[in-house]
Amino acid sequence: MTHISKLPALRRREFLKRASAVSIAGTAAPWALQLAAIGEAAAAAAPGDYKAIVCLFMYGGNDYGNTVIPYDTANYQAYANIRQALAIPRDQLAATALTPSLALPDGRQMALAPTMNRLKPVFDAGRLGVMLNIGPLMQPTTLAQYKAANVPLPPKLFSHNDQSSLWQSSRPEGATSGWGGRLADQFLSSNGNATFSCINVSGNAVFMSGGQAVQYQMSAGGAVAINGANKSLFGSAACAEALRGMITGERQHWMEQELNRVTARSVNAQGTITTALSTATLQTPFETNGNGLASQLQTVARLIGARASLGVQRQVYFVSIGGFDLHDNLMSQQPVLLGNVASAMASFDAALVELGVAQNVTTFTASDFGRTLSSNGDGSDHGWGSHHLVMGGAVKGGRFYGTAPTVAVSGPDDVGQGRLLPTTSVDQLAATLALWMGVPATDLPGILPGIVNFTQKDLGLFTG
Amino acid sequence: MTAAANTHFAPPAPPALPDDDRVVGDATSVGAPAALAAAAAAALLAACGGGGGDSASGGPDSDPQNTVPPTEPEAARFLGQAGFAASASDLASVKSIGFSRWLDQQFDAARTQSHYDWLVAKGKGAEANRYSLDGTDATLWRKLIGSPDQLRQRVVLALSEIFVVSMNGLPIAWPQFATAGYVDMLEERCFGTFRELIEGVTLSPAMGVYLAMRGNRKEDAKTGRQPDENYAREVMQLFTIGLSQLNADGTPKTAAGKTVDTYTLQQITDLARVFTGWDFDIDSADVNGLDFSYMKRPMRQNASRFSTGEKKVLDTVIPATADGAAAMKVALDTLSAHPNVGPFIGRQLIQRLVASNPSPAYVQRVAAVFDNNGKGVRGDMRAVIKAILLDTEARQRSTAPGGGKLREPLQRMIQWARTVGLNSPGDLWAIGDTSNPSSRLGQSPLRSGSVFNFFRPGYVPPNSQLGTNNVTAPEFQLCNESTVAGYLNYMQGLIGNGVGDMKPDYTADLALAADAPALVRRHAQLMAGGDLSEATITTIATAVATIKSDTDANKLNRVKASWLMVMAAPEYQVQK
Repeated sequence: MTHISKLPALRRREFLKRASAVSIAGTAAPWALQLAAIGEAAAAAAPGDYKAIVCLFMYGGNDYGNTVIPYDTANYQAYANIRQALAIPRDQLAATALTPSLALPDGRQMALAPTMNRLKPVFDAGRLGVMLNIGPLMQPTTLAQYKAANVPLPPKLFSHNDQSSLWQSSRPEGATSGWGGRLADQFLSSNGNATFSCINVSGNAVFMSGGQAVQYQMSAGGAVAINGANKSLFGSAACAEALRGMITGERQHWMEQELNRVTARSVNAQGTITTALSTATLQTPFETNGNGLASQLQTVARLIGARASLGVQRQVYFVSIGGFDLHDNLMSQQPVLLGNVASAMASFDAALVELGVAQNVTTFTASDFGRTLSSNGDGSDHGWGSHHLVMGGAVKGGRFYGTAPTVAVSGPDDVGQGRLLPTTSVDQLAATLALWMGVPATDLPGILPGIVNFTQKDLGLFTG
Repeated sequence: MTAAANTHFAPPAPPALPDDDRVVGDATSVGAPAALAAAAAAALLAACGGGGGDSASGGPDSDPQNTVPPTEPEAARFLGQAGFAASASDLASVKSIGFSRWLDQQFDAARTQSHYDWLVAKGKGAEANRYSLDGTDATLWRKLIGSPDQLRQRVVLALSEIFVVSMNGLPIAWPQFATAGYVDMLEERCFGTFRELIEGVTLSPAMGVYLAMRGNRKEDAKTGRQPDENYAREVMQLFTIGLSQLNADGTPKTAAGKTVDTYTLQQITDLARVFTGWDFDIDSADVNGLDFSYMKRPMRQNASRFSTGEKKVLDTVIPATADGAAAMKVALDTLSAHPNVGPFIGRQLIQRLVASNPSPAYVQRVAAVFDNNGKGVRGDMRAVIKAILLDTEARQRSTAPGGGKLREPLQRMIQWARTVGLNSPGDLWAIGDTSNPSSRLGQSPLRSGSVFNFFRPGYVPPNSQLGTNNVTAPEFQLCNESTVAGYLNYMQGLIGNGVGDMKPDYTADLALAADAPALVRRHAQLMAGGDLSEATITTIATAVATIKSDTDANKLNRVKASWLMVMAAPEYQVQK
């Protein structure tokens, strides 16, 4: 077994642990079979080489203006003049004003929304960065080009379903694969169990579907067993067996086949997920009361903690929170939602530190679009570019990325009422994350066809 | 999706149809709208099995569908599209009077107690309920499961999934009455014209709150405040014309290989100014009292909050002299008259009632009836619903591999509940919110997560044969590893125990329980209308027969096991 000494120390330790587990479980198995099992266990369970990205989607289009707020006197005043009743008083921003390691040009200062105070220490610890004015773009685009419409623009701008799809897949609604799934396609073969390459803890998102990768959807409460297909159905084992066969068998009709394929995946994965979650231990508290996103991220943390039993080295996760389409009630509702986001993210960060995988997991926020800076009285309307967060131990945090937009209506970044023309594209963020996950630069266009239109493919978000 | 990509999912042309049917397939080449409408009207008759040459789409007597009594599976299958369930009385009625007359009777069927009145009668208008949804789910279940006018109930549910209001998104006083008033309005207008319907939707207090049109104020140059764009955008994108210019068959028009947008950002901003000045029909001095009757009245216009100056809806200019009501009229008239509405709304109604991926020709036939009911009326919802349900493509069981639709979870549960005569003796209907995806249905009436409904009309499941063949299958957006288990577990509980005071009536089943094949065949016929294969019926019956039938308790287990297995069968879940 000399070849095993070539494994890094961490991998060898894990291998020995797994090997003993396998040999105990399989003393009666032929040695060759055991060897194969050991090899698979070792390959699947090398924690030093684990990486995951987590997409945190804020459905409805988050209002950027009150998420990352101008704080220096001049720009705060411009913000307050435009926002009127939607302006957060400046004194409420003092506690969340950010002090980046690399100052913004022109004396610009920014503050997080007051209810995002739990993320300030994460920023200060260097594990949280702020991406300024990012959104879907087909190519770098100037305001003059936008107005003249003489370059390709993202289709169906300002429409919820289409722009959330564009963020996730680079295409409007109707897309059947997203860049999270296409990224996972690259790693399916290195995952011992491909089923758990893409796990969605919040429903269905095109982001998670690849060419081959299929999203496994579960609830934050865990995987659900089909009671009637388990041991007996109304007292009958034969009925349970017949039911199981009927709902998981191959079908000719495409819809029946898809239904049964999903059901079969549900049945097959349920035991593994349930066992993994039951063995995962996590001390870090999550404020899950009234915060479904915190429950989702808690479950993601536990799944990451149990990655060895899921047999995965590369994963893509998706979590989400809705309610951001605040045409009305912006001042009463957005602070609550952002507080939930910050609380969930801060707990997740702490959990990853606890699990020793902070370096291995990167979380980023996304949303349908930003909104107008001008007010409609009680809220704001659909926009385009927005500010977003990127978090993780590998992230060069404590700083801003991209260009701070001019705070103005009819300014140089405004396509109407303070709707931002993005200066960083989602494709650039996606490429940066893909490179971090280990995708060769030459493979990027296969995942992100639009990236060829951008010179800068790596936003430099990561250390090393 | 192009027409070409779609056509091969259409079922093969029925052999016995007259030549008129061919006209439909070629209708895109017919330029004049009148010719198109006539062709479509002829096709409708053809679709009904006769094609007598009467160009008016005609009264029931001209409808040859009535000349041939449908078989029991055919009648059950029809009731699964035109209603929820094959109740004994509806089965008998359809078999005796035929599809078209049954529809006529249902159009004229009396409405049962309104949601609003029921909530009032149950004392839900007390001060303690000012911010409560208490009773709202109950009254929705009461009608969906218990009301005999099942065509109306089915269409109202469908409309509530197109003109979406979610009770979860009504942060106001009396949200239960806002929801009730909205659904009552849909009931009242669902068999009128589209124009009446869209006005009811637009001015309803619930939609006013849900999409922020209520309280929307004119621009203010001093503060820079702009009118709220929410309703202006969604009334176009979701309720009338959609994002892309459509051909009459629902396929998108293209220019240089690209779809053509129906409107620009500027046109939304323009239209937003029309939707200003509307608010609840109650004086502000009275809002703290117990008068919530404004929730069943259209909103009213406040001229001081209405945007001044000239306005536009698409390219139609609305003069500055038009007041709020007049401007609204022009806006809704213009949108309702847009050629997109027929195919855009028609296709979605087909998807809700009949099939996920209708052929362009089917959409075109329905859209033509939308454009003209044969008597010069546009948007006659009765004619549209009839055209949808009596079309060849609805009446012929689809044999295409992508044909039919996944029955939505609500539809399955309501169908079972009606079939087993679920009823609430205490008038409680305490089913509650069934939204939980891992323990209930992942769907609940009037509780969509957003105005984009539980699923999108263009949804194509990725990594599937449906995806490979670009077959839309909206309901699959709700179908995942959690919900498939949640549905079966929830139904097992309902089948086993009912819910609250609502107990299934298994009398007819118990009489058959000793004969497992007969029992299973009964369930299959009532629920699947002939969609369950003999092989599946045999599989289920064989398993059921392993349960002894010696005692009442064992017989009951046979009945319950049969129900769950039929409702789990993929052949049932996908309605053909």
